[in-house]
Amino acid sequence: MVWLRIRRTLLSLPKWQLAVLAMFFGWIFLTIFGPYLAPFPTEVAEPTTRLLPPSGTYPFGTDENGIDIFSRVLAAPRTDVVIGVVATALSVVIGTPLGVIVALYESRGGAGSTAFAETFMRLLEVIQSFPVFVFAMVLVAVFGGSVTNIIIAIAFVNTPVFVRIVRSDVLSLVQRPFSEAARAVGNREVRIGFRHVLPNALPTVIVQVSVTVGFAILLTAGLSFVGAGVKPPTPELGAMIASGAKYLEIGQWWAAFFPGIALGLIVFSFGIFGEIMTQVMEPRAVRRETDRRREAALETGGDEPEVPDAPTVTLSHMSEPVLAVEHLGVVAVDSRQPLLSEIHLALEAGHSMGIVGESGSGKSVLVKALLQLLPPELAVTSGSVRYLDHDLLTMSKGSMRAMRTTQIAAILPNAKSQLNPLTSVGDMLRSALQAHEKIGAKEAEVRSIQLLEMVGIVDPAQRLSAFPHELSGGMAQRVCLAMALMYHPKLLIADEPTAGLDVTIQRQVLDLTRTLAEDAGTARLLITGDLGIAAHYCDTVAVMQAGRIVEIDETERLFDAPRHPYTQHLLDCVRV
Amino acid sequence: MRLALYIGRRFLFLIPQVFLISFITFVLVRLLPGDPARLSLGPLAPESSVEALRAKMYLDRPIPEQYLIWLENAFQGDLGESWVNNTEVIDDLVHRIPVTLELIFLALLVVFVVLVPLAIITASRTRNWIVRIFQNLTFGYGMLAGALPDFLLGLVLIFFLFAGAAGLMPAEILPGPEGRLGILDFEPPFVTGSILIDSLIAGDMEIFWSGFMHLIMPVFTLAFVYGAPIFKMLRSQMEGALKADYTTYAEAVGLAPRIVLTRAARVAAGPTLVITGVVVMFLLGGAVLVERVFNYVGLGQYAINGIVTADYAPIQGFVCFAAIFTMLVYLAVDLIHFAMDPRIKIGGTQA
Repeated sequence: MVWLRIRRTLLSLPKWQLAVLAMFFGWIFLTIFGPYLAPFPTEVAEPTTRLLPPSGTYPFGTDENGIDIFSRVLAAPRTDVVIGVVATALSVVIGTPLGVIVALYESRGGAGSTAFAETFMRLLEVIQSFPVFVFAMVLVAVFGGSVTNIIIAIAFVNTPVFVRIVRSDVLSLVQRPFSEAARAVGNREVRIGFRHVLPNALPTVIVQVSVTVGFAILLTAGLSFVGAGVKPPTPELGAMIASGAKYLEIGQWWAAFFPGIALGLIVFSFGIFGEIMTQVMEPRAVRRETDRRREAALETGGDEPEVPDAPTVTLSHMSEPVLAVEHLGVVAVDSRQPLLSEIHLALEAGHSMGIVGESGSGKSVLVKALLQLLPPELAVTSGSVRYLDHDLLTMSKGSMRAMRTTQIAAILPNAKSQLNPLTSVGDMLRSALQAHEKIGAKEAEVRSIQLLEMVGIVDPAQRLSAFPHELSGGMAQRVCLAMALMYHPKLLIADEPTAGLDVTIQRQVLDLTRTLAEDAGTARLLITGDLGIAAHYCDTVAVMQAGRIVEIDETERLFDAPRHPYTQHLLDCVRV
Repeated sequence: MRLALYIGRRFLFLIPQVFLISFITFVLVRLLPGDPARLSLGPLAPESSVEALRAKMYLDRPIPEQYLIWLENAFQGDLGESWVNNTEVIDDLVHRIPVTLELIFLALLVVFVVLVPLAIITASRTRNWIVRIFQNLTFGYGMLAGALPDFLLGLVLIFFLFAGAAGLMPAEILPGPEGRLGILDFEPPFVTGSILIDSLIAGDMEIFWSGFMHLIMPVFTLAFVYGAPIFKMLRSQMEGALKADYTTYAEAVGLAPRIVLTRAARVAAGPTLVITGVVVMFLLGGAVLVERVFNYVGLGQYAINGIVTADYAPIQGFVCFAAIFTMLVYLAVDLIHFAMDPRIKIGGTQA
């Protein structure tokens, strides 16, 4: 499992990162074998060869003590990297169990446990408020500058980081179902914490480790640079830079230059290694999601040779359509993979059309394409989208913006995530109103209250100050509905408007939408995965599969006598 | 109301925390090797006078008692005396703190003026050539800044600009690492301790200019190195916010691009603010190193000297100041974050 992920990550890395990774392992190699590879003794002063410039014998020159700098650079990772690694390991070993214990106390509840956890966290805050560098400096000064003491000091200043990370991870993990399950079968809390929860928190810890090691190396070098760390003659990069810095200004650059380059490269390769580890441990959930959708679109797109020709719409009494889509095609910009092709639609004023299809069939891409909200990764390649006598595809952004909400309104899936978490309901409504009319704050507020009343929100004046996280899903959906219908638009495009809501709330919201839209004469395009909803609320239904509309017909006819095998298949699924 | 409750709660913890900070530093500093009485009188002084001095410095009392004495004096504004320089620590701090704060503040200012707009531009989803140029530029910056230790960058700058004959920069244009002012410049009379403000108060434009030029290199070094975490955090948060559903929806509603952008930025600002608080703490440590590199006489040099000479009182004063300063920065950050984000609960401890 892990190996597979490592392999996948390695394959996806750009070339330069692979090169840095190789360099990283080079430094690890030097950490282990460096001192044995040094051509000259690294700690014995040789007054006759002081400050010689780089040459064949001394490729990096010699330092103020006449020691070969190349040899010292080879030997130095042994000091710097070992201090960084051991100190970090120590912080992990101490910090992780502490974090688990604090989190367990905190999640157990009860005044005593909470007080303990809170006090502990505040204590930690005290330790963390000492500036890391200064604190480490004092610690080293107090206990003396031996390598062990430097390790202890650096471990000490980094431990709180791990306590915090593990604590917050465990806190969220103990509420997950698997912890509940472990509890239900009678495990003790401590066992749950360490056996069941901690392994799940490890990825975060590992990522933090790779960051901390680089930081610990920097800290070591910094301490030694000011003379509060590793003491000469031990080969250590910070101390070497410090001893060379004196000669920098008078032109003897090499004594500080080569150790400096080495230090930069070590920290850099550890940093990149950390980023690679992050990718191994936390593959971006979002990216995988879109990948899966694209793959799904590909797969279903593959096996449909028996599909009849794109259906011709045989709707009776067609008048001038509000929305007319012809030959619309959308591709993913990077892969040139088609996501929508040959989409034809026509929607009459006041009518409602449902678009059904399984997830991944391209419904949401269609919505974004119609609304001119495609993300930059997707692009329209062909066709036209006409709203009344406007061509939306060639329209300027400004004129499109003016038509949004006033004429073309949108409801997007999962209302709570559509509302900015830091914008109150009142601000959202006000800014929407003020985007389209010149009105003052007072009038906007009055209108907002009316709008919330319209969608059946109780106590609307109070709700204006609410933030999205304080709303229930149904309430958020009503707010979005109020936004969508504030100007009696001619066209409403609603993408999964009730997904994730209780069935009873679904009905209320959909009924309300229908009533309000019919009163205003709004044409509706309702995208849903639920055939029942489409059957109940739409005059016409279009069936989408793999980015195409495979069948479109009046609702009754489509449900009674489906002509396309995929429609038949969908209906079978429901009727079982 | 919500804010008042939160502030009250935080201050409740702040006071014991400050006491704890001072106690921990006190004990730590007492553990420093070397007997200050002996060190201050020299190795040849008779044992009896060392004993007398120890008694005078209360070094013969148990540590808790010494701490209480120190605390009592501290409340009266007396932080003890440096036995190396025979100066009052409180006076030293008053003169040195502004020097370092000036560095930190200017570095943050540069970060916010230069890097914050850059982060927002490069997070943009539109892919025109301007954005692309900036993206390529900052890609290199992000990699470099994470790997380059502050003191190393300072040395690299000194090397390229001033090293012997290879130096690219004539000293008349940008002064070398010679401290806050040129050798022949006079410090302006002390008012705030900031060289820029004090020289302006004194009306001495020449000193102002000199101080400004001497600030460029250390401030640039600090801003370059410590701006990176702020820059990276803001850019990734901004990318996330611009991709988020609520941003698409705000566009779908027809809000003006300016409002769409500011609302996304507001969401991105929270985590960026938190990391800025941490960066300020690191800047204090960074200032120690950078001051050293540029021979800048600030708090950092003061602390290093104190540690090297086992000078109790200055270290105690400095570490206390540093910890309390960080504590207050964290507090300020939490308060602003709390005021900005309605989702934060009053009782919640920050992860």
